[in-house]
Amino acid sequence: MDFVCNFPFFSILISLFSGTICSILPEKAAKAVNRIVIAAVGVMSGILLLYLLGTGESFVYWMGHFPAPWGNEIRAGVLEAGMALFFCIIMYLSMAGGAHKLFDEVEESKHNLYYILINLLLSSLLALVYTNDMFTAYVFVEINTISACGLIMIRQVGRTIEAAVRYMIMSLLGSGLFLFGLCIMYDLTGHLLMSNIKESVALLIQNGEYQIPLIVSVTLMCIGLCIKSALFPFHAWLPDAYGYSTVSSAAILSSLVSKGYIFLLIKIIYRVIGFDIFNSTRIIDVLFVFGLMGMIFGSLSAIKENDIRRMIAYSSVAQIGYIYMGFGMGTQAGMVASVFHILSHAATKSLLFIAAIGLTEVSGGSRKFIDLTGAGYRNKWAGVAFTAGSLSMVGVPLFSGFISKLLFAQAAVQVEGKMLATLIVLGISTVLNAIYFMKTVIRIYATTGDTSYPCITFKDMKVHAIVLIFFILLNIILGVNSQPIVNMIEQGLAMFA
Amino acid sequence: MYPILLPILFPILAGLCLLVYRKDLERKLLTGITGSCLVITGALVISVLALAKKSLILFYLTETLPIYFQIDEISVIFSVLTVVVFVCAGFFAFAYMKHEQKEKRYYGFYLIAFGVLNGLCFAGNLITFYLFFELLTLSSFPLVLHTGTREAIMAGLKYLFYSLCGAYASLYGIYFLYRHCDTLTFTAGGILQASPASPDGRFLLLVAFLMILGFGVKAGMFPMHAWLPTAHPAAPAPASAALSAVIVKAGVLALIRVIYYIFGADFLRGSWVQTAWLTLALVTVFMGSMLAYREPVLKKRLAYSTVSQLSYILFGLAVMDQDAFMGGLLHVLAHGFIKGTLFLIAGAIIFTTGKTRVDELHGIGKEMPLTMWCYTIVSLGLIGIPPTGGFVSKWYLAIGGLAGDIGIFRYIGPAVLLISALLTAGYLLPLTIRGFFPGADYDYNALQKREPARLMTIPILFMTILSVLIGLFPNIITDYLTKFVSSLL
Repeated sequence: MDFVCNFPFFSILISLFSGTICSILPEKAAKAVNRIVIAAVGVMSGILLLYLLGTGESFVYWMGHFPAPWGNEIRAGVLEAGMALFFCIIMYLSMAGGAHKLFDEVEESKHNLYYILINLLLSSLLALVYTNDMFTAYVFVEINTISACGLIMIRQVGRTIEAAVRYMIMSLLGSGLFLFGLCIMYDLTGHLLMSNIKESVALLIQNGEYQIPLIVSVTLMCIGLCIKSALFPFHAWLPDAYGYSTVSSAAILSSLVSKGYIFLLIKIIYRVIGFDIFNSTRIIDVLFVFGLMGMIFGSLSAIKENDIRRMIAYSSVAQIGYIYMGFGMGTQAGMVASVFHILSHAATKSLLFIAAIGLTEVSGGSRKFIDLTGAGYRNKWAGVAFTAGSLSMVGVPLFSGFISKLLFAQAAVQVEGKMLATLIVLGISTVLNAIYFMKTVIRIYATTGDTSYPCITFKDMKVHAIVLIFFILLNIILGVNSQPIVNMIEQGLAMFA
Repeated sequence: MYPILLPILFPILAGLCLLVYRKDLERKLLTGITGSCLVITGALVISVLALAKKSLILFYLTETLPIYFQIDEISVIFSVLTVVVFVCAGFFAFAYMKHEQKEKRYYGFYLIAFGVLNGLCFAGNLITFYLFFELLTLSSFPLVLHTGTREAIMAGLKYLFYSLCGAYASLYGIYFLYRHCDTLTFTAGGILQASPASPDGRFLLLVAFLMILGFGVKAGMFPMHAWLPTAHPAAPAPASAALSAVIVKAGVLALIRVIYYIFGADFLRGSWVQTAWLTLALVTVFMGSMLAYREPVLKKRLAYSTVSQLSYILFGLAVMDQDAFMGGLLHVLAHGFIKGTLFLIAGAIIFTTGKTRVDELHGIGKEMPLTMWCYTIVSLGLIGIPPTGGFVSKWYLAIGGLAGDIGIFRYIGPAVLLISALLTAGYLLPLTIRGFFPGADYDYNALQKREPARLMTIPILFMTILSVLIGLFPNIITDYLTKFVSSLL
């Protein structure tokens, strides 16, 4: 086994332990450790991705060299490594882009805590991505929940505490359901390791035994993860959680945390239940319908919203709907589109959050649209970045959003029964997206703005501007150079089987 | 390196620089820069059309979808129109925009729209075309809401909303086509293999209709024409000229590309789609003229007239006959020059007198004789009286309509065109009549000559002359197009 194969294990371990170290370091050092760890994990994931693309097959890693039933397994393929790399990039950029706001938003004595939580979050995300064991997945789902809750609550405004409590309740409900599902699954199959469960499930289906408990178990796990990733009817916790937390937290929560759960669901679909078995259940129809409803209702709520951060948060509900709609199509192409949309949405949404903070800064800290009038002139870089993000969301070619929509539509025309619904809702949702994002863009470039607010130039916000440029580039790269990425996703999904 | 990209990228970059540059420029410098950019772009377009390699694959968006440019006869027609109108309206704006705020922003977006239009003309496949079509909407709608009044902003949003809806309807068409075609490259005669009678073919007919409706939004086709009479009057006059003469023609260009280069005329000929399209086009022709006839505000009247005249072109396309197609292309040029001139004249009148309603303009011909002479000449052209450009194009349209294999429309079509021509006379000529013959109660003592500045009159005069020249020497254009049109149909 090559040395590179240790990297997933190293990544999880480094990020887990650096959290502990951060608690005793001075604030500056903790910040440095945090950044270095994210960068290091990113580099390792990158190397691992290249290695896996070279070998062309996934590998299983035994923790401590104990074989399966006793030891714990990690599994890495192209998709896992790519996802880890992407998560690190987004996390690094989000942290860097929100760093200057941290002093306004979080008490100085709590900065260390913040870095600890971020490191914990990273380790749990990595574990969700790499694990090959359902129970380990559950444990890290909980760790993820706790650190995400901390990230929401660390900005101590009344509203955030309420939001955090709400998030906690909904999230725990989600993980509780997931645990139920897992228990039933364990009962039925006697295994916790993904590959073993899959074999047993196939056997059960073949023999026609325990059909109903099996479906119940799968349903419970799906609903649990849907709640945690804010699929439409379970999205009530989202706008407050994303809207009032610190800007880095909002960007990370919306682009990474919910995506971690979705990625786990993809793994469950492919590696635990089996893609074909999952598609033969009615669950995908439910996911499909909820996805479609999310696309419309999320956008409608966003249109009604009068607060830019909450508007972006509601837009996440719509985008999550896209991803589940892709699952609901029940085809390989739909899945590829969904995975691509995970990337595209993560890149765009964090861009929007980071750009929005730049706009509110030059509007006296207010997030109401009326105060944001003309903000695009006062903070040029944030204005341009927000516009770019909006264009990507609306689906203008050359940006990542267009490719997602193209992939979804291409997938839809191959599914006879769901084609029309998908395309109609895709159209409505796109127009709704255009309404609220273009409304905002017009607002920030209106000329009648309050001139008493200060202007910010590149010199005042070097880091912020550079981060925004990187985000825009990331969006354009995804939009212009999509074919290799789509190929990689296809290769990665093939490795899941 | 890539000369074909120059006329697209140069104005876009120049416009972006203008927008990004922080300080306000002195007016002389600003107009100087913009003017030279316009002229350089015009020169670039002409030299690319004459000299450069005719196609270019820039890069691949996905495995089978390149960003691809190619230049053919259609590109030439539309780019020449774009260059003439944009340069003329641009110079006109230097005089007109004196009393407007935020000139830099206007010129910035104006240049970007110019570049995007060039890209639209040169686009060689449907995806590239769609890219520039979206960009055109986004870059032209700041021109509509330029004045920043509530009315203008609402008009801008309406324009944006209609255009985006139309573009998405067409995007669906692209999704479906992508499934049935190996490539989306524009190929004369179409690329579809399926026959219209097969189940796939029947579905594709629906797709074609969807795309006609979608792209028809931009061309102001009924039932999605309502943005046009709102957006045009709200924009500053030179922007309305550009909108009406060129930007709405993007919808026409789109339909030519989709119907004749993707579906192929043979696929649609005789189908229900053709019937529906003809009906919609004729309804729009008649309705636009009627609405224009009843409209008291000059710019709005011209906007309704645009609705009507554009559907002349669409009728020519929908007949799917060589003569009618030729007539449509000629009318693209003729209407472009004429309507551009008319909007510039409306702008000149508003600029000098501040009056917007037709019935306030008694004796305007005595005050601004040169301008009003131009108005009269191009009006005659739009009505279709020889020897102006409108006559030739309408002649071809009527001939094509009569000869085309379109059943009952063979009679209805030319009849509607004729009635609409009468209405055109009815809504355009009163201004001439009252302008030159104000009646006995007109106070000749208070008369003062108010001919606008030369920067305004020269573009007007130039385009007027062009519109007449098309009518006098149509053979240059028809000879150039004949072979190509027969290859299409």
